[in-house]
Amino acid sequence: MIEFKDLSLVYPNGHQGLKDVNLKIEDGEFVVIVGLSGAGKSTFIRSINRLVTPTEGELHVDDDNILDYKGRGLRKLRTKVGMIFQSYNLVKRNNVIKNVLAGRLGHTGTIRSVFNLFSKDDKALAYESLKRVNIDEKLYNRADELSGGQQQRVSIARVLTQKPKYILADEPVASLDPPTSHQVMQYLRKINKEDGITTIVNLHFIDMAMEYADRIIGMRAGEVVFDGPVSEVTEETFEEIYGRSIREDDLRGGVEEDVEQNV
Amino acid sequence: MSNKMSKPTINEDNYAPLLSPWRVKAKITVIFFVIIIFLLFSSWRTGVDLNALIWGFSNMTQITDKLFPLNMGVLGPAMNTLFETIHMAIIASTFSTLVVIPVSLLAANNITTNWFIYNTTRLIMNILRTIPDVVLAVIFVGLFGIGVFGGIVALFIFSLGILAKLISETIESVDMHPVEAMRASGANTIQAIAYGVVPQVLPQFTSFSLYVFEINIRASVVIGLVGAGGIGQLLMNQFSFNNYGAVMTIIIVIFAVVILIEYISGKIREAII
Repeated sequence: MIEFKDLSLVYPNGHQGLKDVNLKIEDGEFVVIVGLSGAGKSTFIRSINRLVTPTEGELHVDDDNILDYKGRGLRKLRTKVGMIFQSYNLVKRNNVIKNVLAGRLGHTGTIRSVFNLFSKDDKALAYESLKRVNIDEKLYNRADELSGGQQQRVSIARVLTQKPKYILADEPVASLDPPTSHQVMQYLRKINKEDGITTIVNLHFIDMAMEYADRIIGMRAGEVVFDGPVSEVTEETFEEIYGRSIREDDLRGGVEEDVEQNV
Repeated sequence: MSNKMSKPTINEDNYAPLLSPWRVKAKITVIFFVIIIFLLFSSWRTGVDLNALIWGFSNMTQITDKLFPLNMGVLGPAMNTLFETIHMAIIASTFSTLVVIPVSLLAANNITTNWFIYNTTRLIMNILRTIPDVVLAVIFVGLFGIGVFGGIVALFIFSLGILAKLISETIESVDMHPVEAMRASGANTIQAIAYGVVPQVLPQFTSFSLYVFEINIRASVVIGLVGAGGIGQLLMNQFSFNNYGAVMTIIIVIFAVVILIEYISGKIREAII
């Protein structure tokens, strides 16, 4: 469970990233954060694994205030909170399996990892994760030989290999085309359902948020301006969140295809 | 003037833009004339002219008469000291490539965020690099006596300075996104560097190390002249005995080996980049 208590974040330059955020995310939820760019979506997500540090309030992950963490405690938190990035963040020169195994670093000793001495179980887990996102045949390809969608699937496999309790995805489909975007979202959704991993995704596409979320949190200027199940959300809700009428480029479009057929 | 007046202006149909704005053009012209002035001033102050060049070449026959015939007797000692030179270069290059790993990480501002450590490392490396290899050799031959050891230490310091600059700049240009991903998954600093940075710099690292090895071969000849061992020292000895046939033989041997080593390491570098 993740709980925000009066959480605020002011960047050193004075920009207010988060403002008095109070909410609770239950285990197993699939939450989508929506808002315009600069609304604080990234700050919200990056607070949970402390890539940024809130300046006021409390943030509890599994009943522990993570704002106190440093060093070993912080690394321990991050091993149970996996993250997916807009630009995939793979090592482009490395092959796929090495990239996926990097997800085990937090669970592996420094000396062992420097000499690539991953256990058999770790390697099996990495391969299993690749199979789950249907990219196991690219095992030995260099990451930069893959398309954007394939790279994002490898990064999902990396997160799976980490065996996290929570997955944070920061604009995971912003660099992808519509069909690939749906594919990536479907994999995230499937993993959330099958493994019960709490998943929090930043999106700025309204239609995708509606399609995949259980719950939508709307942000504007660092504040949570909407929080509710997807059934309560209407077009007016988005106009309220965005502070303007809905436009063509707020929608991703593209047809929904079945994951299994797709690959 | 009338020609200038009739040029089409920006609002007319056949307006042809300049390739660069006139300000840039003026700047380049000024720089060009400044360089010419420096060149003329320098040659006036040093009193050099083309006549001296032509006059100098007319002495060529005098030198070639002395350098030939080759003295093949020196070939044996030349080969021995040549291997000494290569050994010196290998030892110095190996140690400097090992030591440069932590040093270049400390001198890269994307890895070392501590302002003080970063700038101190940079400063020390910059100072090392400004000392010419011959001066280093004179210092270390003074410290450790005539022979290879002083030469090796001099080469080590010399190549460390070069490598630290080249490799820290390579590290600064890597894509930091994978490092961010690894930090976010609980990896510690050493793991994030080993997995996120090392694979990205490895090809350049290998290439620069080979390059420094090539430089060390040539530099070890030069520092031999001041008594730091190797074939350079033999060359200097023969020179002081006016044994020019032997000098020419040694020069040819050095020439052949330098070409050969540069060829081989060039091929290796091509293969890895």
